[in-house]
Amino acid sequence: MRYFLTYILCLVGVLAMGQNKQILYGFDAVPQSLMLNPGSHVTQKKHFGVPFLSQIHVNGGASGVTAYDIFKDEAGSINDRIRTAIFEMDNTDFFTVTQQLELINFGWRARNEIYFSGGIFQELDFISYFPKDLAILAWEGNRDYLDYPFNLGEISATGDLTTVFHFGVNKKISKRLTLGSRLKIYSSMISFRSVDNRGTFTTSLGGPDAENIYEHTIQNADLNLQTSGYASLTDSENSGDVTSDILGRALFGGNLGVGVDIGMNYEINDAWSFSASALDVGAIFHTKDVENYRAHGTYTLDGINLIFPPLSDGEATLPYYDNLEDEIKNELALDTLTTSYTQLRPLKFNASITYGFGIFNSSGPCDCLNMDGSQLHKQNVGLQFYSIFRPQGPQMAGTLFYYRRISNFLSAKATYTVDSFSSSNVGLGIAADIGKVNFYLAADNLLRYNNLAKAKSVSLQLGFNIKIDDE
Amino acid sequence: MNKALLQPIVVICICLFFTSCVRDTDFNQAEDVALTPIIELDLIYFNLSANNFYDSINSNPILSVTDTTEIRFLNDGELQDRLQKAEFYFKFTNSIPRNFQVDFQFLSETNDTAYVAGTRVDEGQPATPVITEYTEIVENADIFKLTQANKVVVTVAIDSSSQNLEGDLNLKSKTTYFLQN
Repeated sequence: MRYFLTYILCLVGVLAMGQNKQILYGFDAVPQSLMLNPGSHVTQKKHFGVPFLSQIHVNGGASGVTAYDIFKDEAGSINDRIRTAIFEMDNTDFFTVTQQLELINFGWRARNEIYFSGGIFQELDFISYFPKDLAILAWEGNRDYLDYPFNLGEISATGDLTTVFHFGVNKKISKRLTLGSRLKIYSSMISFRSVDNRGTFTTSLGGPDAENIYEHTIQNADLNLQTSGYASLTDSENSGDVTSDILGRALFGGNLGVGVDIGMNYEINDAWSFSASALDVGAIFHTKDVENYRAHGTYTLDGINLIFPPLSDGEATLPYYDNLEDEIKNELALDTLTTSYTQLRPLKFNASITYGFGIFNSSGPCDCLNMDGSQLHKQNVGLQFYSIFRPQGPQMAGTLFYYRRISNFLSAKATYTVDSFSSSNVGLGIAADIGKVNFYLAADNLLRYNNLAKAKSVSLQLGFNIKIDDE
Repeated sequence: MNKALLQPIVVICICLFFTSCVRDTDFNQAEDVALTPIIELDLIYFNLSANNFYDSINSNPILSVTDTTEIRFLNDGELQDRLQKAEFYFKFTNSIPRNFQVDFQFLSETNDTAYVAGTRVDEGQPATPVITEYTEIVENADIFKLTQANKVVVTVAIDSSSQNLEGDLNLKSKTTYFLQN
């Protein structure tokens, strides 16, 4: 078992490179599709996720560059390729990693026809925009960039390690309309964010009246970093303490937050339906173990001004260097604050429009695969829209999909997605019900699987559930 | 039919996952990654007037003045490891009708001389200042010596001086640091 988990995690690790679960959205053969739209169709009577294995989700990506671009085994220098990549990327390009692991997931249909579901999952979410100017400065230095204002405001990154406790309800309230919502309690283990930064750094030649050859100017800088759950870890000396600290926070011991998911599915007529959901409408209130840093100001450095004071023997001259350091510290104040802050969760929005055809009625007189009594189609085609609010604005994706119920134990969904990473992302998901065991596997960017190094992003979800369709 | 379909699909998926790979790449190249920034940074500057070289109270010429400043980053471990070459550029503007000898003595924390540099500065006239430019390139074994230093002693020596001497000696300077990790 341990090896199995290791293999899965290694596999996941290799594939790890978006946060869009376009394959799972609307994939009603998978109970976890309720996590993407609490108002979606629920076809089963009960489900229990296999603990720790009900959903393993990893995705990641780099919008501007692939591993192959940098590490390709060809003539030429890796340093030239890095330099090319730095100049080809924009400050709107980003690197992102999302990982989720469901610990528990369960659901059941109550007598009043409400489908209740709940569970716990752990989530890691990281995004960093590409600070192009700083990369150029680090890579090339300032010699060839005189008078160029390096933008310090390009620093924009957030990272969160969170446990989410959730409980949701889903009910078909009319012949055509299903509504659902889910309450989430977040327990943030570690969080950091550095957004809304600004300022420039410029080296320019001093004019005839300038004090020295150059003027190095930091203009209107305002840089900040908010952290929670971090300061106390740096105080813990041994790693055992750190692990137990983090595990403690996983169970309501961290900074708490609250949010809701809402969703709906509306059958416009027998063939057409529309669905939409908004996920993570909420915030985390960082009050414990908070440490925030802010550096701000304007300063011009000219070097060290020697004044040759008349000194008697043995008398020390002025502490020029200390004075300079003090001056910089005064002009570019670094504040460390422990004030609480509130962080909005990255709001996600999904929507789809679906055309279904072919009647699917697999289970005879008792239509047990269709507990909410909706018309199930054999095949569905449609369009999906996804967006997530990120520090520098929403990131969006559009998906064309084909969903087919192949038999009463097998369904598959194929997707073609256009997003910030690429315009040729083909994904495939299958869900199989083998006895009461439901297994699903979904992955995108399949066209890149013959060489993942060329993929800008890869997303993978897999998991095992126990699904009970009848008594 | 359905079972016949299931198997191939599962097999194809499994094959996809297990044959997916990262090809035509050589991650060992990471060892060759070298950041080679070239950084321009102001160093010291001063303005000395002719009366700095004459003690009017005791009516004595002052033939040399000295000042010292720390340059603490110079013997920083990271700079010691990364510095490949340093190019010092000094620009004197002299309107004093005298030649000068200006010496830069880089001292370690224990005040041992680590590196020395110096130049003659041409005489000028109060109405027509003369510019003397001087570049000192430090590379190879000298880099080690230079990065042992954490302060610089600047000595400005005048050939001769008198009460009526007029004009100013101005220095502007910068260093170009060629780094590599």
